[in-house]
Amino acid sequence: MDVTLGLLPGIPGAGDGGGGVPPGGSILTKSKNKENNHNMSIEDSSPYPVDDNDDYDDGGDLKLGLGLSIGGGLKTKEESFRILTSQDSPILKPSCSSSSSSSSSSSSSIVGTKRTAIHSVSPPNATSVVGWPPIRKAHRVSILANRNKSELEEFSSRPKTKNITNGHHLTVKVNMDGTLIGRKVDLYAHTSYETLAQTLENMFYGRWSSTEAIGSSRLLDGTSEFVLTYEDKDGDWMLVGDVPWQMFLSSVKRLRIHRNPKMQH
Amino acid sequence: MVYSLPEEVLEHVFSFITSDKDRNVVSVVCKSWYEIERKCRRKVFIGNCYSVSPGIMIRRFPEVRSVELKGKPHFADFNLVPEGWGGYACSWIDKMSRAYPWLEEIRLKWMVVTDESLELISTSFKNYKVLVLASCEGFSTDGLSAIAANCRNLRELDLQESEVMDSSGHWLSHFPDTFTSLESLNISCLGSEVSFSALERLVARSPNLKTLRLNRAVPLGKLSTLLQQAPQLVELGTGAYLSGVRSDVYSALSKAFLGCKELKGLSGFWDVDPSYLPAFYSVCSRLTTLNLSYATIRSPDITKVISLCPNLQRLLVLDHIEDSGLNALALSCKNLQELRVFPSYLYVADANVTLTEQGLVSVSQGCSKLQSVLYFCHQMSNSALITIAKNRPNLTCFRLCIIEPRTPDYLTHEPLDIGFGAIVKHCKNLNRLSLSGLLTDRVFEYIGTHAKKLDMLSIAFAGDSDLGLHHVLSGCEILKKLEIRDCPFGDTALLANVAKLATMRSLWMSSCAVSIGACKILSRKMPMLNVEVTDENGTLDPKLDSCLVEKLYVYRTVAGPRSDMPGYIWTMDRDSANKI
Repeated sequence: MDVTLGLLPGIPGAGDGGGGVPPGGSILTKSKNKENNHNMSIEDSSPYPVDDNDDYDDGGDLKLGLGLSIGGGLKTKEESFRILTSQDSPILKPSCSSSSSSSSSSSSSIVGTKRTAIHSVSPPNATSVVGWPPIRKAHRVSILANRNKSELEEFSSRPKTKNITNGHHLTVKVNMDGTLIGRKVDLYAHTSYETLAQTLENMFYGRWSSTEAIGSSRLLDGTSEFVLTYEDKDGDWMLVGDVPWQMFLSSVKRLRIHRNPKMQH
Repeated sequence: MVYSLPEEVLEHVFSFITSDKDRNVVSVVCKSWYEIERKCRRKVFIGNCYSVSPGIMIRRFPEVRSVELKGKPHFADFNLVPEGWGGYACSWIDKMSRAYPWLEEIRLKWMVVTDESLELISTSFKNYKVLVLASCEGFSTDGLSAIAANCRNLRELDLQESEVMDSSGHWLSHFPDTFTSLESLNISCLGSEVSFSALERLVARSPNLKTLRLNRAVPLGKLSTLLQQAPQLVELGTGAYLSGVRSDVYSALSKAFLGCKELKGLSGFWDVDPSYLPAFYSVCSRLTTLNLSYATIRSPDITKVISLCPNLQRLLVLDHIEDSGLNALALSCKNLQELRVFPSYLYVADANVTLTEQGLVSVSQGCSKLQSVLYFCHQMSNSALITIAKNRPNLTCFRLCIIEPRTPDYLTHEPLDIGFGAIVKHCKNLNRLSLSGLLTDRVFEYIGTHAKKLDMLSIAFAGDSDLGLHHVLSGCEILKKLEIRDCPFGDTALLANVAKLATMRSLWMSSCAVSIGACKILSRKMPMLNVEVTDENGTLDPKLDSCLVEKLYVYRTVAGPRSDMPGYIWTMDRDSANKI
C-alpha cells in the first residue's frame, strides 16, 4: 500500500485528492484492502477519498504534506504548500516498518540505538513489562499482599502427614533391623540430628555392636555398623542427615536403623 | 452604537458562571469582557502545571480563591514516569503565598510537595480552607502538623493516595482544641498509626464532619466509637475490617452503623472478615457509592451485600465478584452509573476466579444508566463488545484492560478491532477510552472516524504502523490527552499532524518508534510546544537523528521550556535543532 498524504483543499483547486475532506490536519489516503469484508454494523465507508489502484507495498516512498495549521509554525503560504518527500531528509525514511523486506535496510540506518524495531522484540507478556497491567501502586501492593496471604493459608491447610502432631509434638516410629519391637520418638523435642542420634543410641543401647559405644556422629556418618534412614512423604527411604533439620521435620514419616551393608565383619 | 452594561453588572452576571470552560469562553468575547472576567475569576484549573507559569496566572487573575494543578503525566500512576521527572509545586506555592493572601483552596495532583511548602501554605493564607493532595509525594507528617496547627478555618484535608513519609506519629494532635470546622478528612493512604485519642477528640468536636476516610491501621474495634461521635457522616472509609471473633465488637459496630442515617458512601475494607459484613447491612439501602476494591470477599458474601444496595450508583470491586456477582449486580442495582472491576491477581488468571466478559455484558444489559466502566479481565470477544456497545450507547468512559498484552478475541482469534469499533460507533458521547487486546491499525481508523467527542485516549501494545496514530490525530477533533506505550508509531504520523498537537494538552509516547530527528523537526515547526525527550539509559546520541527516543512528552505551553528537569530529560530546543 502506497501511503500518500495529500494536502488540504483550504484553497479550492489546491492539493490532490478529492473534496469532502475535513479542515485541519493532513489527510492520509490508502487503498481499500481487498478483504475489507468485516460484515458488521460499522459503516465501511471512510469520509476520506480512497485510492483503489495501489497495492499494499510497504516501504515505498512516503510523501508528506503539511496541512494548513491553525496558528501553527508556518510562516509563508509557499511553505504551507511545499511537499516534503523522503528525499528531503534522510530521517524520514520509514524506520519502523512492519514488513520484513525493508526492515533490514532501515534498521542498518538506525545506528547507535539500543532499541531494536518493535517487531523484532519478543512479544511481551504481562509478567515482563514495566507498568503493566495499569494498576495504581496502592492496589498493586494490596493485590500482592492478598496473594501472599492466601498462598500461606493454602499451604498451612494442606493435609498433614500421618504422624501424630498437634503442633507441640511430632512423634514417629523407629524400627531397627533385627528387632521386633519398635520405639517412638518425638522429633520436636530435638533441634538437630546430633541430639536425635544420641537419643536413638540410648534407646537401642546394647543392640549396637557390643564392643563400642557408638558416638552419635558415627551413626550419622556411615562409619558405624548401623545406618539411620527415614521414609519421606513420597514413600522413599532416605539417609538421615542430608537436608536441613527443618526440612527433614516437614517430610519425615518414620525412621529405621539398618545394618550398614557396607560394613563387613 | 454600542451598549455596554456597567462593569459591576457584568461582574455580577459572571459570578454565576462557575465552570472553567464557560469562563474561558466569556473571556474571549471582547476586550472589556476579558478584563472584567479576569478580575473576578475565583477558580483556576491548570491541567498541566508546565503549560503556564505562576507569574502569568497571577498577573491575569489577581483575585483567585481556588487553584487546581496537575503535574506529572497520567502514566506516572503506573511507574512509567521516572524519579525526579518534575512536577514541583514549590514555585507555585511560593508565588501564590505572596500574591494571593486570600487564597482558600489548593488542589494538587501528581505533584511533588515539600514540608516547607505545606508550612508556607499554613501560614500565608488568612482564610485557608481546602487542601487536596492526590497522588502527591515529597512531604511528611511534619508538613501535616503545620497545616493542622495553623489553619484555623480548615474544612478539608484530603491526602488521596499520596505517599507520605511518616516521621512523627502525632500530627493529628496539632489541631488545636478550638478547631471545629473540619468537614472532610481523608488519611487512607497513611501507612502508620495515627493517635487514636487525638482522632477521636477531633471527630467529636467536628459537628460538620461529612467525610472521614481512615487508614488501615485504625482497628475495627474502635470504629464504632468514631461513628457514635459522628452519626452525621455521609462518606466513611473504614480501616482494616477484621477483629478476630468478638461479638462485642460486632454488636457495637452494628449499633453504630444503625445510627448513621446519612451515610451514602463506604470504602476502606482492607483485610475483610466476612463475618463482620452484616454489621453495615443497615446502611446498604441508602448507599450510592461502595468501594470494595481492597476486599477479597467472594460470593455469597459479596452477592448478598450488593443485593441490599438498590440505590448504588458507583461500585468498585475486585474480580472476586465473578460473573455470578455481576449478574446479581445487574439485577439489583438499576441506578448503577459507574463500575470498576480490578484484578486480584496481576498476571495470569486465577483458576478459582471466574470473571469473564460475560459479567460486563450482563451489567451492560441490566444497568441502563451505566456510563463509566473500568474492567480488568483475561478474555474478551468482539461479539461481547458489540453487544455492550449496542446495550449501552450512553457510555461516556470505557476502559478495558485485558491483562495479557495483544490478546485476540478468544472465540475467533481475530483482533478486537470491530469490537472497539462498535463501542466508538454506538457510544457517541464517549469522552474517555482505553484500549487493550490484539488491535491493528483498523481500530484506529474506526476511532478517528467515529470518536468525535473523545477527550482522552490510552493505547498500549496496539497497531501496526504510523497509519494508526495518524487516524487518531487527524480524526479525533477534540482530543486533548493521548498516551501511548509500546506501539509501532513513529515519525511519519507525528510530523504529519504537528498542528494537532497544539490543540491538545499533552501527548505521551513511550517505547514507540519516534526518532530524535523527528523531535527536532517537531520542535522547530511548533515553537509553542515543549518536546521533552527522556533517555534514562544514556544511550541517546542527540546528534544522531535516527536514534529512537525512549519516552517522549509533548505539551503546549506559554511558559517556554522548563528548567527543572533531571539530567536525562531534554527539551528539544528549536534553535539548537537548527544548528545541528
